[in-house]
Amino acid sequence: MSLRVVVADDSRVMRQIVIRTLRQAGYQWDITEASDGAESLRLAQDLDPDLVLSDWNMPEMSGIEMLRAMQAEGLDIPLGFITSESSQEMREQADAAGALFLITKPFTAETFRDTIDPFLA
Amino acid sequence: MSAAIDMGIFAETVFAIAEEVFTAMIDPEPGALQPALEPTELSEDATWAWVDVHGEHPGRVMLGTDHDTAMLLTRALLAVPEDEAVSEADFVDAVGEIANVVGGNIKALVPDPGPLTLPQVAPVPPGDGATLLHRAQLVWRGHPLVITLWSLS
Repeated sequence: MSLRVVVADDSRVMRQIVIRTLRQAGYQWDITEASDGAESLRLAQDLDPDLVLSDWNMPEMSGIEMLRAMQAEGLDIPLGFITSESSQEMREQADAAGALFLITKPFTAETFRDTIDPFLA
Repeated sequence: MSAAIDMGIFAETVFAIAEEVFTAMIDPEPGALQPALEPTELSEDATWAWVDVHGEHPGRVMLGTDHDTAMLLTRALLAVPEDEAVSEADFVDAVGEIANVVGGNIKALVPDPGPLTLPQVAPVPPGDGATLLHRAQLVWRGHPLVITLWSLS
């Protein structure tokens, strides 16, 4: 099954690493890149993707702001965070906002499979 | 930040964090990254990348290495072959992301940390009067690296 997925991170390098690792994990998905939360929100509105994988700390609009904005607009699109920081407060905010998961960088293909596979079943 | 982080724990943990970052993102070969056995100095042609932690205990995590080593790290991170050019934008992005991921994990050692800034990259460290708390010296495939922790209080 080829999902339509948006990968949002302000770092082009990190987007490439996320996409490369998704491929290594065996996910042959149709991926569209977003360079900040605002662009990711626009893509969510336009493409209605199956999944959004988002960094937390981004210019223009953070990942958590983007998730809340999606929900405020009634966009029920599954979202998981991939972030370099993960305080307890952030995890609580992510849970409260309905995020599926929060993966902390650095990650491996195994990390992706272990975390994402349960939500694909 | 000094009051917020146990320096003994930091010294033990910083190498483990850096090793995990390198293994996952840069160089999976076991032992490629090692603690430096002798004091190391960077050349004048160095690259510095850092992120700041705001909040009650403001601090900074900074990565420094020679420019040539930073370029090798960029190529490894992006899986770019030697005969392919790397743009300045990708170079700054890649080195900044290494500092960002290392800094994000070190931030996890701080109780109730504030937000992390976006990474900064420059040929010289910031001269804003920050106080050095700890300097970890590492070697990646013979190339020196330093990871430093600073208090911004």
